[in-house]
Amino acid sequence: MSEKIFEKTINLFDKTFLSISLFSLDKMLNILAKASPEFKKELEVHDVTVQLKIRDNTIGRKLFFRRGSVTGKNGVLGADVEMVFEDENTARKIMSGQMIGKTSDFVAAAKNGSMVLNGPDEKAMWFSSLLLKVFAFDVLYLGNFGMLMPNGETRYVSGTNGGPLFVYVKDGKIVRLTPIDLSEEDADPWTITARGKKFTPPKRATISPYALGWKSMIYSPDRLLYPMKRVDFDPDGERNPQNRGVSGYERISWDEAFDIVAKEIVRVRETHGPGTVFYSRGSHHTWGNCGYFISAANRFFNCIGATGLLNNPDSWEGYAWGAMHHYGGSARKGGCEAYSTVEDCMKNAEMIVFWSSDPESTSGVYGAHEGTIRREWVKQLGIPVVHIDPYLNSTAAFMGGRWIAPRPGTDTAMALAIAYVWLVNETYDKDYVQKRTTGLDKWREYILGETDDTPKTPEWQEEITGVDATIVRALAEQWGKKKTYLAAGGIHSFGSACRTAYGTEWARAMVCLAAMQGLGKEGVNFGGLQMGTPLDTNFWFPGYSEGGFSGDYIGSGSGIQLYNRMPQSPSVNSNYQRIPRLRLPEAILDGHAEAHDMDNYTVHGQFRKVRYPAPGHSEVKMYYKYGGSYFGTQPESNRYAKMYRSDKIEFVVNQSIWMEGEARYADIILPACTSFERWDIAEFANCGGYIEKSFIQNNHRVIHMQHKCIEPLGESKSDFEIFQGIAARLGLWQVFSEGNSEFDWVKRYFDATDLPKRMSWRQFLKKGYYVVPPLPEDRRTPLAMAWFANGTKRDTPELAPLPSEYYNRYNEGLQTPSGKFEFEAQTLKRFDPNDEERMPICTYIHSWEGVGSELYEKYKLQLITPHSKYSFHTMGDGKDSVINDIDQHRMLIDGFRYWIFRMNPNDAQERGLKHGEVVEVYNDRGSVLCGLEVTDRLPPGTVHSFESCADYKPAGEPGESVEINGCVNILTPSKFITKNAHGLAVNSCLVEVRKWEGAFGRWKKCI
Amino acid sequence: MEKMHLIVDLKKCVGCYNCMIACKDEHVDNSWLPYTGAQQKHDQKWINPVKHERGAVPHTEINFVTKLCQHCRNAPCAHARPDAISRRKDGIVLIDTQKAAGDKSLVDVCPYGMISWNDEIEAAQKCTMCAHLLDIGWKEPRCVQACPLRALNVVFCDDDEFERLVREQKLKPLSDGSNAPRVMYRNLYKRDTCFVAGAFVYQDGEIKRAAENAVVQLKINGELMTTVKTDFFGEFKIDRIPKDSGTFELICDMSGYKTISVQVTIGEESPCLETMMFEKL
Repeated sequence: MSEKIFEKTINLFDKTFLSISLFSLDKMLNILAKASPEFKKELEVHDVTVQLKIRDNTIGRKLFFRRGSVTGKNGVLGADVEMVFEDENTARKIMSGQMIGKTSDFVAAAKNGSMVLNGPDEKAMWFSSLLLKVFAFDVLYLGNFGMLMPNGETRYVSGTNGGPLFVYVKDGKIVRLTPIDLSEEDADPWTITARGKKFTPPKRATISPYALGWKSMIYSPDRLLYPMKRVDFDPDGERNPQNRGVSGYERISWDEAFDIVAKEIVRVRETHGPGTVFYSRGSHHTWGNCGYFISAANRFFNCIGATGLLNNPDSWEGYAWGAMHHYGGSARKGGCEAYSTVEDCMKNAEMIVFWSSDPESTSGVYGAHEGTIRREWVKQLGIPVVHIDPYLNSTAAFMGGRWIAPRPGTDTAMALAIAYVWLVNETYDKDYVQKRTTGLDKWREYILGETDDTPKTPEWQEEITGVDATIVRALAEQWGKKKTYLAAGGIHSFGSACRTAYGTEWARAMVCLAAMQGLGKEGVNFGGLQMGTPLDTNFWFPGYSEGGFSGDYIGSGSGIQLYNRMPQSPSVNSNYQRIPRLRLPEAILDGHAEAHDMDNYTVHGQFRKVRYPAPGHSEVKMYYKYGGSYFGTQPESNRYAKMYRSDKIEFVVNQSIWMEGEARYADIILPACTSFERWDIAEFANCGGYIEKSFIQNNHRVIHMQHKCIEPLGESKSDFEIFQGIAARLGLWQVFSEGNSEFDWVKRYFDATDLPKRMSWRQFLKKGYYVVPPLPEDRRTPLAMAWFANGTKRDTPELAPLPSEYYNRYNEGLQTPSGKFEFEAQTLKRFDPNDEERMPICTYIHSWEGVGSELYEKYKLQLITPHSKYSFHTMGDGKDSVINDIDQHRMLIDGFRYWIFRMNPNDAQERGLKHGEVVEVYNDRGSVLCGLEVTDRLPPGTVHSFESCADYKPAGEPGESVEINGCVNILTPSKFITKNAHGLAVNSCLVEVRKWEGAFGRWKKCI
Repeated sequence: MEKMHLIVDLKKCVGCYNCMIACKDEHVDNSWLPYTGAQQKHDQKWINPVKHERGAVPHTEINFVTKLCQHCRNAPCAHARPDAISRRKDGIVLIDTQKAAGDKSLVDVCPYGMISWNDEIEAAQKCTMCAHLLDIGWKEPRCVQACPLRALNVVFCDDDEFERLVREQKLKPLSDGSNAPRVMYRNLYKRDTCFVAGAFVYQDGEIKRAAENAVVQLKINGELMTTVKTDFFGEFKIDRIPKDSGTFELICDMSGYKTISVQVTIGEESPCLETMMFEKL
């Protein structure tokens, strides 16, 4: 066929097809309305006239929507809404359903203007979504998804930050949630053969308690069901900011709420300029790659331009600001890669040291109880285990082995003593140190006391840590002769010790110890069986940090992972202002703040300073808060009450699922629905981003649909729809959503991944999940860091570091100037060789708040507040959830469930305190009521309470009175971890405790 | 006839409380009559892991003993109200909450304290072993399905077979077993017995060292009960000593050093001894 004829044929085809589909559209809409009363209701929403046409007016059809029925007429005339196509070919592609098929065409058409939708936003948006609903009619209106059970229930699938769930629904109500037991047809798991035994994980996915308790949170009486306005807030008159946190709320309509928020956005931006809208959120809202914060929220706030939060690397602190300088890993915030370490550990390790590591409580992150199964295998294998933690944590309690309890914040001294023993006994890997590292001589001088006349002996550390020299020496000697896995933190980084004063030095000590013993050699690596299972790392399904539909190629992982897979229009935040998270209240109240940046691309990027306000930007006048966790999660959190009640912020809007925490300090509250009430898609424990391929915490790769299991409760809306509603009032709806619904985005996301190669969209919608088969044994991912130990090119599947971060040949060596492990860090030396708080070598520095510090005279107890076991930060706690009934989570005393505070029997006796009574924990920063648990899980002098209760309930004046709900972060310091790092040091905290003698107020009989 | 049994293993329980949360998920806001009415959200626990501590710093042990209805063969509740409480063919004991409505005395009948009062439906209630699910084909009750390591495990077998299992695996009842419970416990010694732990050091020049491989013998009235060796921390632990066993003698030897002999009294608690120093011969 000649090219000309071909073109002609195609043209004719396009024209004919287009005419037919345009001609039949009105008829089809009427048929669908007959099939579904709900669809008919949608049709009834607007009485409008819609014009569909080619731009040159050669083809056109007009649709008249009148009281839910549609009539059509050929021709081109004026209309309310106009859908204009550049040419027949574009029009055919889009009208034939490829709007949600080949998305690159659609995005291209939208970007280059060959498809335009004109008309009032609300009507245009309605019509566009109506068309898209036609393509998913059987799913959206006939409920053609999920598995029908013999008893009439339908089984859907959803995801949480504690594992995926089956969701059984009947009559529009969730009956039950269960962990997912895999079926016969799902892929069989892997097997590890170690020491003559075979280990295969059971064919099921595990779940965390806070995930299993979700039903009680969905149907919680604390759900926000209607948009609300603070009673004494008048956007056109008195705003009464001083009453935030005190005044009540009244119900308003969505129209009213959207109008106020949109008007305020316009007002503050027009009046004050860029940066005046500030947006922040908690880190672990719900679950899902599209509707989650880094997707929907990023796109929305990029659309309006907003001051963002400069996040401190909270889970990583010491690694990011310290350890990274010795061995790189900026993309992982100083954490180490973890590939295949489970198998290596089980086969080759002769000892495992858990140091500030409690994966049984923290689940690594999002990993439910997957690692529990492997740690039980370690018990079967009889590998000796040691736990170093001021608190007898759940991992130590479960696994057994020696528990060593240093005073909080002194772990570095113990680590230095271990290095001392190795140096003196020459029980470190000399060959490795010589070939793969630099600078040990410098560190040796310090450790042996040649530079400061203080040899860092086990006896030296005894005074500091309170741990017998004998024990430390015995541990060092074993470690020196046994191949040892070091679980420093819960997941190849993390750990409470990295959030102490100078926690930088602890994380540095951890990587230096690992390097001395030959990190990457057989049986010598990081990990506590939490990460590094032999799963298929090639099958491509991204994590939530990869940005979903944000189009945020700069502010999310989208530019690295998604750009070539899911075409979408880009979105950029044009406001360059950021507020350092740990200085947020000061930034607002004092009008300025500064801190160092946290760069993911480079090691040296963290030496930059971020200053608020940024040049040419406005101070923040409007705060758009997504969720309400900061009272529970941020240090010295009474500061937030003072910030919210200041007139420096003219308008506060909070988008929240429950009435709790910061939601109580908003002027307008927008009720968001849970992830069980909207569409999404995600993978079990896959966050991506800073923990790339985090799914290797799991025993199975479970990629799942998040069905819209039930309709949103009350008038609550999905985050997507809330953002869309505001965007529509700013003329931004098409920019925000590309005209797609969240269901459409989920389909586009599915299409972008490797899933369609294995399973059809229809099958996926029905079954709800897919299990990626593990690769055969000889194709498993190479062992982490083995390439480095062997001196070969990197062979693990990592994109980072950037090519420019190699100073010698690309992909050879580490992300350090020498490419070697640097005991003396050149990056720190270059930044400031005399920074006595962060020397080029790792040193021990006494805490400003600990035993022997000035404050110790007044407050004799060292408080640690590690991540909670039964809740995930604020998720799971409060909200009238059943998690509150766990008597290790909260303690029921006289009708109120108090947050638990733990102390040793000796400390309790000294203070005349008894188990089960209400105590006041206090210091100069505030005071909190707790229920006292007297326990031998702590040595005398150290006290423990988990961080992050969900609500904030001051007994009197917010910010100034005793808090009754257990917001222990009121007590923690907001001082930076070290002067040149924007990191928190909440586990360096001194307190005292006394019996609560005050009145029991109105809270006495509530739950 | 095969019967439902549960085996609870203390060593496999990580204290996650998934069992209690799963139970609440299934029964709160869901009425499964005629099996039972809805559970009260906060004021009832049909299954509850109870934390149990043994020993002291640094030898502290944390265990959880999960309590639930024991589905006794000789159930005091069924004797008290034979009209309202039935034993099914599969061994599950059920309270008919409609027939037993208003009878608060049932709460005190259960020797395990696992019958609780429901203010909302005004009836005594307890675990049903999720009979409403088993009857439609589920293989396990909710608590078991949610248990990460199957510290709770279902055994479906006849009475003889179960008795054999109990014998062979040395399973123990939660209390004296007189009610012939169908729930039995593995490693209950972690609740019911004591251990003694201690540490030894010796002087090596300037340095105190852990006494590894020292021999520790436990004797009662001169009779040798057990022998253990110290680990690389110089520490030992002798477990499964019955409570209130009286006074023992610990004899500790390391070659080249004087024997250390100490008296230890075992009552309710597990003694953790101060570090002891071997003196040169």
